[in-house]
Amino acid sequence: MKSQPYIRYVIITIIFLLFGLAIIVQLVRINYTTYAKELLAKSEDYLGVNKTIYPARGTIYDRSGNILATNQIGYELGIDLKDVNDPESIAFATANLLEDLDYVDIFEIANTEQHDVENRYYTISSYVSEGTILELERLEEAYALRRGETKSTKPNLDGLVWTPMQQRSYPEGTLAANVLGFYNYFSRKTAQGVYGIEEAYNRLLTGKPKTIYVPNDPYLVEELPEINPGASLVLTIDREIQKMLEDTLAEAIDWSGAEGGTIIVADPETGEILGMASTPFFDPNAYWEYEETFPGITPYNRAVGSTYEPGSVFKIITMAAALDSGVVTPETTYVDATGVYWVSNTWPIYNWDGGAWGEQTMTGCMQYSLNVCLAHVAIDLLEEDLFYDYVQAFGFGRSTGIDLASEANYPLRLPDNNQWVVMDLATNSFGQGIAVTPIQMVAAVSAVANEGKMMLPHVVRSVVDQGQQYNVNTQVVNTPISAETSETLTQMLTYTLEEEASDALVEGYSVAGKTGTGDIPTEFGYTSELTNASFVGWGPSDDPKFVVYVWIEKPTISKWGSVVAAPVFHDVVEQLVVLMKIPPDDIRMGLTNE
Amino acid sequence: MKKSPLQAYKQAPWRIQLQWIGLFLLGLVLVASITGVYLSISAQAAATGRKIQFIENDIDEISNEIAVLTTNLASDRSTENMLSRAKNLGFKLMNTNEAKYLEIPGYDPDTDLELAPPRVNIIAESPIIKSDYKSSIWDWFVKQFWYISDNTISSEGDHAP
Repeated sequence: MKSQPYIRYVIITIIFLLFGLAIIVQLVRINYTTYAKELLAKSEDYLGVNKTIYPARGTIYDRSGNILATNQIGYELGIDLKDVNDPESIAFATANLLEDLDYVDIFEIANTEQHDVENRYYTISSYVSEGTILELERLEEAYALRRGETKSTKPNLDGLVWTPMQQRSYPEGTLAANVLGFYNYFSRKTAQGVYGIEEAYNRLLTGKPKTIYVPNDPYLVEELPEINPGASLVLTIDREIQKMLEDTLAEAIDWSGAEGGTIIVADPETGEILGMASTPFFDPNAYWEYEETFPGITPYNRAVGSTYEPGSVFKIITMAAALDSGVVTPETTYVDATGVYWVSNTWPIYNWDGGAWGEQTMTGCMQYSLNVCLAHVAIDLLEEDLFYDYVQAFGFGRSTGIDLASEANYPLRLPDNNQWVVMDLATNSFGQGIAVTPIQMVAAVSAVANEGKMMLPHVVRSVVDQGQQYNVNTQVVNTPISAETSETLTQMLTYTLEEEASDALVEGYSVAGKTGTGDIPTEFGYTSELTNASFVGWGPSDDPKFVVYVWIEKPTISKWGSVVAAPVFHDVVEQLVVLMKIPPDDIRMGLTNE
Repeated sequence: MKKSPLQAYKQAPWRIQLQWIGLFLLGLVLVASITGVYLSISAQAAATGRKIQFIENDIDEISNEIAVLTTNLASDRSTENMLSRAKNLGFKLMNTNEAKYLEIPGYDPDTDLELAPPRVNIIAESPIIKSDYKSSIWDWFVKQFWYISDNTISSEGDHAP
């Protein structure tokens, strides 16, 4: 027979075993209840967060290393629902400090926890200034004091969180904004470059964002993957030249009462754009005001995004074609007996002054910008096939391929088009009835200034990515004319400027160039009194280092390119030679001879 | 009957108990040591994890500070600011006729800006070292094992009808 103490031991053992078993059963049961699943799902939310790491957007430099676009700090403002206990105060504070936030919307988000636990973090503003964050911090301190005084849990901003983020900054303000474009960073997920370099090189500048899981458990913490910043770009733009161009253009617009304008400076030997000014000027730091600055169809950058009938500057192309094909020489004469050239005996072409200029050499035709002479050259000597072959060889009718977004192009009307008439050939010869962009004109004229070689116009000089620099190679697009033709035409246009004592001339420097006054077509024909005044020139004539293109749109002080655009060219070149360190011809020749 | 001291030692009940207690204590010490090492390593791992988190935060903060300083520097050196500073210092813009040109042998005003070393072909430049020279003995063993296994399977496959 078992003793009494032994039975007690057995009973106690059984009780403990049953108790332990009950605990195990309860543990298993809890793990398989619906509540346990919810709890597990909720706990996962606290284990860590999926974080998208956005690489810093690449910096944009001018050709000397001055920063044109970089990043500064803004703050992302969000609500972490697990910490919110006073949605009213959060909604009140944010709606008061941020104009674009609404009290009701914020309150709804801050109050979500009661019926939605799946998402616990909401971004309410992607970029908030440091000043606003300082205000929020001050408010938080004031609320804490008030809570201490009233022994209450409210007002309270717990759950309102701000995280520093990098946002785009343009330290030069409006300078080169038309070239740079802008970055619409307000919505981080949809942010992208718009216009200019920012759009054309958006993928390179942005880099590759990466989403990673960041655990809160320190045991699981791993080194964050290395995320390379976006590539940086070195532009061909020279900050000093750009500043000079924008100042000169602003003065010219003001002085001439024009609607708008653009000035481009390019290196004909490389196709590098050294400066590109266009109106209206715009501060990309406040890119949200874009629509106010560019209402309707106003182009962001007239230099690449706007087509117009250039007028007589296009005569350079016609004369280049005639000289290169051998149908004329500078001494070939044309007799302008009546001041009228009849196209197909039906349509008359007149000179700019309506007068007859008698016998003129080709140099004279260019000097006095005679429409009848150039119409004769195109129709009677070149004829349509040869003329349009050259026009296309100079790149008209297609985009130049410049590395800027939103380049415009107006298709050429060619003889194989049903709508083409021989009158088109006549008007095209002096730059009417044909629409071009300023950058197309620069690219074409660069060929005349660069021994016949037309270079690809470009704005990016180097790309710096992952610690390595890649320099963009210059590229010959075409050779529409020979080096001899280029030299001959440059000499002709240098001579004509000097003979005319043009306002474009710069003391000490020989420059070649041509004025242009383009009539503006309306729905009723060329009825407008307003014109497009242009001037294109290059220099020094014996060894061109720059091409300058000036387009003043609808000036009111005078309609003539020689009056409006030529002086602007003069002002630009006078400052440009100093900035480019080009000595006057006599000094340069002396230095070369030495 | 004469008994050996060893037998006496074995048969003494207190000695047997002592043996068990000794064994138990030995086990306890072993478990405590392992637990101690485990706890120490865990604590170090957790501390290192936290350090990594702090360092990552520091990296973010430093990147942000660099961005702010870069922007401030760029603003201070912007064209407007530089022109205004130059004017305040008594400088004025130069005219063409005021310029004096001198030839400086070897000076090129338009040299390429170098922000980073030029791009190089990484594949061509990297030294060619066989992976065998960089692997551990264990890596090598595993590789050989799989190599033999693969060869065996493929050679069996070759004989399949």
